[in-house]
Amino acid sequence: MSEPIYIVGAARTTFGRFDGEDNDLAEEAVRGALADAGVTWSDIHFAVGGTNGETKPDNLVSRLGLTGLPFVTVKNGCATGGVALMTARNGLLAEGRDLACVVGYDNHARGAFNASPARYGIGDWYGQTGMMVTTSYFALKIQRYLHEHGIDPRTLGYASEKAFAYAADHPYAWRRKPVSVDEAMDADMINDPLTRFMFCSPDAGAVSLVLARGSRAFDLCDRPVRLASVELRGRRPGSFEVFSTWLSPGERTSPSIDAAKAAFDSAGIRPADVQVAQLQDTESGAEIIHLAETGLVEHGAQAEGYLNGDFLIDGRLPVNTDGGLLANGEPVGASGLRQVHEVVRQLQGRADGQQVPGGPSIGFTHVYGAPGISACTVLTTEGE
Amino acid sequence: MPTTVDDSLFSSLDPVALRGSECSCGATVFPALGSCPVCTGVDVTDVALPTDGIVWSWTTQHFEPKPPFRTDEFAPFSIGYVDLGPVIVEGWLLGRTEWVIGEPVRLVLTKAWTDGDTVVHTYAFEAAS
Ligand SMILES: [Zn+2]
Repeated sequence: MSEPIYIVGAARTTFGRFDGEDNDLAEEAVRGALADAGVTWSDIHFAVGGTNGETKPDNLVSRLGLTGLPFVTVKNGCATGGVALMTARNGLLAEGRDLACVVGYDNHARGAFNASPARYGIGDWYGQTGMMVTTSYFALKIQRYLHEHGIDPRTLGYASEKAFAYAADHPYAWRRKPVSVDEAMDADMINDPLTRFMFCSPDAGAVSLVLARGSRAFDLCDRPVRLASVELRGRRPGSFEVFSTWLSPGERTSPSIDAAKAAFDSAGIRPADVQVAQLQDTESGAEIIHLAETGLVEHGAQAEGYLNGDFLIDGRLPVNTDGGLLANGEPVGASGLRQVHEVVRQLQGRADGQQVPGGPSIGFTHVYGAPGISACTVLTTEGE
Repeated sequence: MPTTVDDSLFSSLDPVALRGSECSCGATVFPALGSCPVCTGVDVTDVALPTDGIVWSWTTQHFEPKPPFRTDEFAPFSIGYVDLGPVIVEGWLLGRTEWVIGEPVRLVLTKAWTDGDTVVHTYAFEAAS
């Protein structure tokens, strides 16, 4: 059994619009995480950087210091943060490495992502006929899901209201203006059944974490958060992914189901044990689907959960306590690490603004993205 | 013969039928592929897909997509997944902007855009009743 891996430092920038260089964001996050851990760049043995922009994360060493360390770059769409964290964890399994740094960042222009058919191996006709649109994918997926599970579409409005309510008191969120259920339901329709207040937008931001192996973590940090598991899975037949010209009839599968199950099994934790969670909420429907695909809530029981307030700060299972993607936007490379950053703050009892009461000790994160990959983590402060 | 957005999508144009591929494992995909993503095999043959199906999901595109989207004049249009039996296919839903999951539709050829004097066609589904 290899030694456990812990998160001993965490920092993020405020998300939103940003005029500077991508590297400015990344550097701010890394220096923040190093300071949080009480270490310097020269202490780091292994680094991983993720971005979907044009900059090269591994060139951050020209600002941080030419220490000769191995620096791996990852680029996996919306799941980049999760993949970067997994890669950093794996890097620490090598002999002689105790400390790793992971950073994720992006600085996107305004507006929906514009995907090129060729990049996805699809003919030009798919884009030319207006089907290569991410918002329509999400709409088609939740439309079917609501139908299959008999869920009131108004649940979408509850998910939006919750996100912006959390963000209103969060120090790093982008969109902090509250939105009521009625406002969310009555806003301009983008793709039925999803309105303007149900989608996240691309924006800018960076997050960095410092990981430590074994007892080194307790030398550095009073309350290190154990990375009990991090698991990455791709799609199998029966999944419903973005830019699909066809789907398999029959049983539906999902990389989120597989990654969540693997993460829980690997950590020896049950979904029912989770006390604070972060789920990919690219739009309100995604949060509803992912509540069930991760095993946290039964399929079809989500509406009741929102109505009961289960997912609020004092509820049974607080979800996306920083406002999620809806309120933070999506700097693609940073988004998955933002989730981990938030859960780390919650488990360490230092979540200014929106602290889950009662000293939560088990957290869960889930990222999901094109072309059908998901990464999940289980984070704990128990057992040491 | 009508001009289309991509001739490889069709096994015939009159009557219109989509060209998919069927694997010896039973999986059917669209457009046709030379391999099978379901079983990883390569024992696949091109097939004409059924032309009647039911709406499996739908949405209406209320904003004009960015290029490479082409249109003569944008108006909100519906997109759906249509269950054809062996495979569920994505395509336009013609004639309305509100649909019901489960309603019957059938395949048609329709104008996508005009290129000079040439009308470029694509496939779509319209209400069968
Ligand atoms: Zn096959």
